[in-house]
Amino acid sequence: MKHLLMMISFALMAFASPLLAQAPAGGPPPVHAPSEWGRMAAAYLAMGLASGLCGLGQGRATASAAEAMARNPGAVAAIRFALILGLVLIESLALYTLVITFVAR
Amino acid sequence: MEVEHQLWITGIFNHHLSGPANWLLSSLGLAHDPARPWSDWMVCEILVAAFIFIFFGTMRGRFSVDRPGVVQHTLELIYEFIHAQAEEAVGHEGPKFMAFFGTIFLFILCLNLIGLIPGFDSPTMYPMVPLGFAVATFFYYNAVGIKANGIGYIRHFVGPMVWLAPLMIPIEIISHLARPLSLTLRLFANMFAGEQVYLTFISLTKVIIPAVFVGLHLFVSLLQAYIFMLLAMIYVGGAVSHEH
Repeated sequence: MKHLLMMISFALMAFASPLLAQAPAGGPPPVHAPSEWGRMAAAYLAMGLASGLCGLGQGRATASAAEAMARNPGAVAAIRFALILGLVLIESLALYTLVITFVAR
Repeated sequence: MEVEHQLWITGIFNHHLSGPANWLLSSLGLAHDPARPWSDWMVCEILVAAFIFIFFGTMRGRFSVDRPGVVQHTLELIYEFIHAQAEEAVGHEGPKFMAFFGTIFLFILCLNLIGLIPGFDSPTMYPMVPLGFAVATFFYYNAVGIKANGIGYIRHFVGPMVWLAPLMIPIEIISHLARPLSLTLRLFANMFAGEQVYLTFISLTKVIIPAVFVGLHLFVSLLQAYIFMLLAMIYVGGAVSHEH
């Protein structure tokens, strides 16, 4: 058990390796001119809207899938397949918005 | 931009092999920085491809029917999984195209996972690499469709009724062109967002919480590789289907 704890803490430390790269980068956050505020506000709003609607859609998909699996335990594999496919396709819509956010900077 | 940070292995490549790389890039007419012809993603991609070649090349000689080892069992599991998915998604002729699907799945999986190792970068985090996969898949499913259906492949674009053709053909062409775009964006954005979220949480809370996001990134890597393969299968299935 002690050996396991030691290994887990070592793995957590190892995952934090980008901390070593963090030192030279950084500094004061960039200051944007007021003419940029509209574009930034639109980007942030768009991302929030996309994430919220994506959450709604995925919630509906998951709810239907869970109910279908409860009703028909024999079809669980097929329902799980359709669920994963649907979730990933809905997720990608929110990610398109994320990419547009980066393009709009 | 800030200081050009390169991985240690890219530094090795740039230090020793910059001559041939500069010659190749100049002969192709591509603009590049002469001090750093090798980019991070190129080096990691070559590394992963070499690893896959060597791994499967050496394992091939060690397969046995009577006494399979652990690795053989694992690879057989993966093979059965891809075979079953191909039959389900493409139809009866699915397993004919398994070489392409298996390559897509294993290559994207290994490219995604190498980013979790400190000191290496996921090549799929840069937009060019998923674009390569998506364009390859686009040409592959169209080529397979033309080979299976001949000139009748055009019938896929026409729609259910012949007189709907002037409406359906532009819609179908646009939706077909949107497929490589969505494949690229999905893979790239998932990997890129995973890295960005990880870096954000590293700067906010130094330890423990970023490890949770590494776990999430691991799950997302597996899922995205599977989804890319699944969508490639669905597109091939759509192209190969014989409309009666």
